[in-house]
Amino acid sequence: MSYLDPRTKLVMVLTVSSLAVLITNLYLLILVQIIAVATVTAAGGSILDMLKKLKKFLLIFVVIVFVQSIFTKGGQPLWQVMNFTIISDLGLFRGLQMILRFFIIISSASIMTTSTPREIIQGLVQCKIPYEMAFMVTIAIRFLPILRDEANDILTAIQLRGINLRQIPLLKRLKTYSYLLMPMITSVLLKAQELSIAMELRAFRAYPQRTSLRVLKMQRLDYLVMAVCILVFLIIMVLALKIK
Amino acid sequence: MIVLENVSFQYTKDRWILKQVDLEIENGSCTFIVGPNGGGKTTLSKLMAGILKPTSGDVYLDQQNTKDLELYQVGTKVGYLFQEPERQIFAATVKDELAFVMDLKEMAQEEIRKRVEAALEQFQLQEVANSFPFQLSRGEKQRLALAAILMNEPSFLILDEPTTGLDRERKKILSQLIEQLKEQGIGMVIISHDEKFIQTHADRVVKVAGGEVKDGG
Ligand SMILES: Nc1ncnc2c1ncn2[C@@H]1O[C@H](COP(=O)(O)OP(=O)(O)O)[C@@H](O)[C@H]1O
Ligand SMILES: [Mg+2]
Repeated sequence: MSYLDPRTKLVMVLTVSSLAVLITNLYLLILVQIIAVATVTAAGGSILDMLKKLKKFLLIFVVIVFVQSIFTKGGQPLWQVMNFTIISDLGLFRGLQMILRFFIIISSASIMTTSTPREIIQGLVQCKIPYEMAFMVTIAIRFLPILRDEANDILTAIQLRGINLRQIPLLKRLKTYSYLLMPMITSVLLKAQELSIAMELRAFRAYPQRTSLRVLKMQRLDYLVMAVCILVFLIIMVLALKIK
Repeated sequence: MIVLENVSFQYTKDRWILKQVDLEIENGSCTFIVGPNGGGKTTLSKLMAGILKPTSGDVYLDQQNTKDLELYQVGTKVGYLFQEPERQIFAATVKDELAFVMDLKEMAQEEIRKRVEAALEQFQLQEVANSFPFQLSRGEKQRLALAAILMNEPSFLILDEPTTGLDRERKKILSQLIEQLKEQGIGMVIISHDEKFIQTHADRVVKVAGGEVKDGG
């Protein structure tokens, strides 16, 4: 499916993730989840990777179930300790709802990763988004791994100075964090400065009109897939309204 | 003393960076690590400093397993100079950079001032004492990072490619500093490609390539 236009993929992600946000019915959410998994698999993503990502959210899910059970009134208690409801069916329901929404959004977003950043920019530009904006998006994607590495080294380095980050006295916490921010912010600013000079040298924005070497063209399949996406979106929305 | 026993390491499941490495580094000696780029020199040195923990095998710092040591405890045993000194500079002035950890630990101001002055002098940083550290030259940043690390009084020092990007004069200053620290009895592990630098300082050379570590090289 990597031959689909990035704009088509964008429509897929947008419809699926808006469904995840708009729908409250658990069965419909499960249906949307199945659709999302099916699309991602068809797009060449792997379910195993998705499950791994979901594992990180497991703890949040458990916490949500408890919090929802304890703090929302109503619902049948499923587990009580001394007349105090710890888990209720409503809490469990809300927790499931939340985790399904998470999972749908995360898995549908992974559809985008089957396009290269270059294609995504081109897609955005051809959607009439200004090139400068689209360029900012790629820069952000491009620098993320570098910044992560840097942040790791910085965190390591300050601890090696003998500072126990897990146990900073409350009053000194702010001050310590300000020392952590210093190298990170400076590094980002310096990078921005260098990058802007490099861009000037290559005459970024020298001409008001940019032309592209690679121009994306929508195929018949793209229009078909988009139409199906919108159709599915409408059907599920109608179902959701009916069930209510 | 740093001891590596049967150490293997991988960042990701599909590839071993180091395989079954045994190595002992004596106190007070100066060991150089050489080898091709991407050979695993930085990885080996981070394992020695307890920054990375081995995938299998054990690393001991003064008889303590690095698996049982937190980073803030390692700092008083081993100082580590990163390849990019910018990543270990935290304060808005050179002076504060040397002082802030002691400040946070509420040491007496008089004692802090004395130690900072001494460090500024030893590392030839008096002239830039009130400058913004991130605008210093590479050599100055590196000396500042070194001075700050040594405030912890570690008995070992690990330097990752310290000569890269230094001109001849700056290398000479670094050489003098290394000799001084050697005289103070601080053991050193230095990653470097600089033949002359190695000949001047090395007590021992260790070669890292293809996941294996060999003595002499
Ligand atoms: N954080 C990391 N994650 C994954 N792989 C890494 C990481 N850091 C280094 N590597 C890989 O480990 C190998 C050894 O790297 P390194 O120890 O930095 O070598 P050297 O310092 O000798 O150039 C390289 O192939 C590098 O790509
Ligand atoms: Mg290296």
